[in-house]
Amino acid sequence: MAKEILIKPSLCTGCSTCSLACSMQNRGEFCPSRAHIRITKMDFEGRFEIIFSSSCRGCGICAKSCPSGAIKLIELPEAAG
Amino acid sequence: MTFYGYAGSILDIDLTSGTVRKKDLPEEMARRYLGGLGFNANILYRELNPGTDPLGPDNILVFSTGPLVGTSVPTACRTEASALSPATGLFGTANSGNYWGGELKCAGYDALIIRGRSEKPVFIRICDGSVEILPAGRLWGKDAWDAIKAVRKDQGDSEMQVAVIGQAGENMVRFASIENGPFDAWARTGLGAVMGSKNLKAVAVRGTGGIKVARPKDFSAALDDTRRAINSSPFYEAFKRFGTMLASIPYYEFGSLPGRNYQTGRPENWMETRTRKQLPGLSNRGVSCQACPIACAHWVRVKDGPYAGLELKDMEVTPVIGFGAGCDIGSLPAIAALSGACQRYGMDMVSASACVAFTMEMYQKGIISRDDLGFDLPWGDEEGTFKLLDMIANRRGIGNILAGGTRLASASFPGSEVFSVHVKGLECFLADPRGRWSTWTFGYITNIRGGDHLRTRNPVENLKYNDNPVPYRTEKFGLPDRVYESLDMPPELKKAAFDPDSRDVNIPVMSKWSEDLISIYNSLGMCIRPPVLHTVGPALFSRLTTGLTGLDISPEDIALAGERTWNTVKLFNLKHGEKPEQSDFPPRFYRDRPADPGKEPLDPGAVKAVLGEYYRARGWDPETGVPTPEKLAELGI
Repeated sequence: MAKEILIKPSLCTGCSTCSLACSMQNRGEFCPSRAHIRITKMDFEGRFEIIFSSSCRGCGICAKSCPSGAIKLIELPEAAG
Repeated sequence: MTFYGYAGSILDIDLTSGTVRKKDLPEEMARRYLGGLGFNANILYRELNPGTDPLGPDNILVFSTGPLVGTSVPTACRTEASALSPATGLFGTANSGNYWGGELKCAGYDALIIRGRSEKPVFIRICDGSVEILPAGRLWGKDAWDAIKAVRKDQGDSEMQVAVIGQAGENMVRFASIENGPFDAWARTGLGAVMGSKNLKAVAVRGTGGIKVARPKDFSAALDDTRRAINSSPFYEAFKRFGTMLASIPYYEFGSLPGRNYQTGRPENWMETRTRKQLPGLSNRGVSCQACPIACAHWVRVKDGPYAGLELKDMEVTPVIGFGAGCDIGSLPAIAALSGACQRYGMDMVSASACVAFTMEMYQKGIISRDDLGFDLPWGDEEGTFKLLDMIANRRGIGNILAGGTRLASASFPGSEVFSVHVKGLECFLADPRGRWSTWTFGYITNIRGGDHLRTRNPVENLKYNDNPVPYRTEKFGLPDRVYESLDMPPELKKAAFDPDSRDVNIPVMSKWSEDLISIYNSLGMCIRPPVLHTVGPALFSRLTTGLTGLDISPEDIALAGERTWNTVKLFNLKHGEKPEQSDFPPRFYRDRPADPGKEPLDPGAVKAVLGEYYRARGWDPETGVPTPEKLAELGI
């Protein structure tokens, strides 16, 4: 079954575990600036934005490592194409 | 050499000469002291001479991250800042999370040493290899929030991480903090005053580099096991929802809140106004530090009343107990506003609220009056508290005396010495030992930084009970078997720290271990929140650190590094004049009978006996608490 990444920014706590895990998996080092996903922190407002770069290949490590439920992997039924 | 895990460099800046040096990280120091607190202890013990003025150019301020910082190890984001403390005259140190340490690591530095004193206000800008000392004339005088915004605007980087002082640091208030972004801080022991004395307003950091892993497979397996261990903690879900506010109810029930400057352990209307029960009306989501799955801090939004519109990251138990119990401020929104004020002025909320509580008691007892203050200051007075904080931060009127902390201030107000509640010059916090006797509260007198609760916590403290099966000597364990079985500590010590049948905790022995364990956390860059502290110990740390750095560091090496660090700080304190009699509770806890029924003042003989047992557990002289030559030889100090 196809899997897609589902995003709920309102659940993001800003921990950036996703971008740390992404850079380790895809770049071979912990380096958020080279990750395919980026958490923009608006700390005075307590808000966070989740931004994927065009280079993301959808490996899903971000969702697997997200502890807050802001990024999830969901399975798509075949009928959904 | 090529380092893995570590950035491999130390940045050494002299503000007097304006020189910036980049030094290699000595491998020996990494092996023996791990990072963070360990590095700071090692550097400051070697370099600071007795007689150094904490607010003079010879004091040295060090920020050190840990090897795990900047990785995805849960909670690994913390940086230790240390210097000779202007509050205590001893080792000043504070630990903070957020994102600053991760940026420093990615910029290429494990530690930042700041020496000397600039003639004019400056700030330091670190962007990877570029390090500049820049004029801060326009920033000087701004509060911490406005200064952060101004730095980010000037640098064109809205996410630059900024360590900054507010007016309190500039005015060298002896309990000024260094704010870490808008809502976190290196708060205790007056490190903000040290920055102010150096004419240093801020250290702004941005790093784009990476952290390499020596043995990815081993590290990844250790990381998975660490995540599993933390997630399986019985405290995990509760901490995710309520954070440190979990303590707001048990400490009331124990009668151990510092109500009205430790005059009552159960402030009136506490349960209806200032506990986790009122939290949902103010906050329904958490905000994390880097790499933290818990997100214990709350995003607070006040919807109505006099503070409507206030939004900030807050509602930790620190301001709730400090202002809420200590000063008897009766509502969470008011407490949130007061903690916001401390964040802006850059003041340690514990000592600031303790100073206000101390002043309220002076007002209550007629030692000072409206004439001294310019206003009335009854218990719970919100307006007066805001005014007094402003006077302290700006050293105006009586605020100039209170800016020295309660120990110095009490010398100016005869009769107040008996209710100046501090140890070694640092105001005590959180729990009244007359209402709760535990490893945590006993730790006020063994703590390397004075009357503080964050360096001595029993990793399996159980807030369900308030029992000492053997008075003064043990505290009840009462947690599930699996918590005991999985508790990762040296086997011999585990045997000595728990009763074989009841599993009650031996306080003096557990004190030794909890101090060593927390020193390990503060050196590796981890957070001591309960779901982590009782699940991750030397065995997992050995696997994580070895996999990450490639330096083979055994569980024994990890435990020894924690003990070495604690002993090094103790030696620092002795070198700078700490006396054995300072390791004792303030007179209020021995003399005054608490207002709550069934509570007694502490028994000095019993306290002394437990302290002696603790010294023996440490391998220190049982009378003086001085590390013995044998212990120092064992630790290689």
